[in-house]
Amino acid sequence: MNSILYVVMIAAPLLGACGASFPPPTQRLADAQSAERSAREVGANDAPAAQLSLKLSQDQISQAEKAMAAGDNERADALLIRAKMDGELALAQAREKTASVDHKEAISDSADQKATNVGQGAVK
Amino acid sequence: MNTKRTIAIFGVTLGTIVGCAAALPPQDLVTARNAYGRAANDGSTAQRNPRDMDAARKQLAAAEASFEENGDTQGTRDQAYLALRKTEYAEVLARTARSDEATGATVDAMHADEKKTVAGTAAALARSKAELATQDAALTAQNVTIANGKVALKDEKARREEAEKRAAQAAADLAKFASVKQETRGMVITLSGSVLFVTAKADLLPAAQLKLNDVANALIKEDPLSKIVVEGHTDSQGQAAYNQDLSQRRAQVVRDYLVSRGIAADRVTSQGFGPSRSIADNNSAEGRANNRRVEIVVQPSTPTQ
Repeated sequence: MNSILYVVMIAAPLLGACGASFPPPTQRLADAQSAERSAREVGANDAPAAQLSLKLSQDQISQAEKAMAAGDNERADALLIRAKMDGELALAQAREKTASVDHKEAISDSADQKATNVGQGAVK
Repeated sequence: MNTKRTIAIFGVTLGTIVGCAAALPPQDLVTARNAYGRAANDGSTAQRNPRDMDAARKQLAAAEASFEENGDTQGTRDQAYLALRKTEYAEVLARTARSDEATGATVDAMHADEKKTVAGTAAALARSKAELATQDAALTAQNVTIANGKVALKDEKARREEAEKRAAQAAADLAKFASVKQETRGMVITLSGSVLFVTAKADLLPAAQLKLNDVANALIKEDPLSKIVVEGHTDSQGQAAYNQDLSQRRAQVVRDYLVSRGIAADRVTSQGFGPSRSIADNNSAEGRANNRRVEIVVQPSTPTQ
């Protein structure tokens, strides 16, 4: 009985110290927010795949903020790592959409140019 | 005893069940494994984006290690989630690179095509320029021909004016000592036979030679292309054959003398007419004197152009 009490007495401050020792992940929060903002700026809301990733990033940032408010910095940290990754993915997906649109436009331009050249008497 | 055994069996089973439950991977890890396997099978992702594919592989390995060590914990699921997202990230970047490459190739082809078109247009332009230059040269040559024609025309006009002037001068010179008339056959210079010859002879008098010198000088001034006919005429006294012969010889003598004075031989011919072309009454002495004559006919040159 006594030994159990000892264990609890030693372990409790350790656990408390451990919980208290995890600092608020302010840098990770800033990084995740930055990734989310960048994704929005390149038009993640206009590409369906990017839109989903952006939503996940935003949801996880807000969950992390709640966890931080509740003192669960460790959980918040893990959520913010995920949120940052989702923000980066959203940005990449938005760029993929742009690249695809650019390619289609180039093909269309090329066809237009060919027609113009032929109209001007170019040899095919 | 029985109860103890039952408890023991229960304990073992429970342990096994718990062990089994711990061995089942979380859904996130299963999804991450599948996604990575799919991306790895499609070699183009690793080929275009080896760096992010490697990051995804390491993240999946970390998730597997976490599962191995800790089982299905929130930490394992977080790692697995990141492995899935990193795999997708690698795929998206690879697809973007592929699109960019294709766009680049299309644009390059477009530029090459444009270059070819420009070159073709330049060649056509050069051909047009060459044709224009040829036409220009032809026009210049035509202009030169026209200018030459104008010069030739001017020269011809000047030559005619000169010839007319010379003819007028020659006529004026001759008018001083001979009868000069303009007839349709040409300019006719009439010299009295008594001035030129001894009666019934074909020998020139010394005074006649002086007059014929003047005639020759005047004729030299004449149009050099004109033809000259020396005609001998007599009156009707005496035999016709004799008169014909005399007129012929006198004409010949005058013709030869003119040639000796510098008139081109091929310009001058002579002809005797005897009394056949009387210009006056043969019944009077004065008329017969007028009929004895030498006529020098200058036929104007026929225009050559």
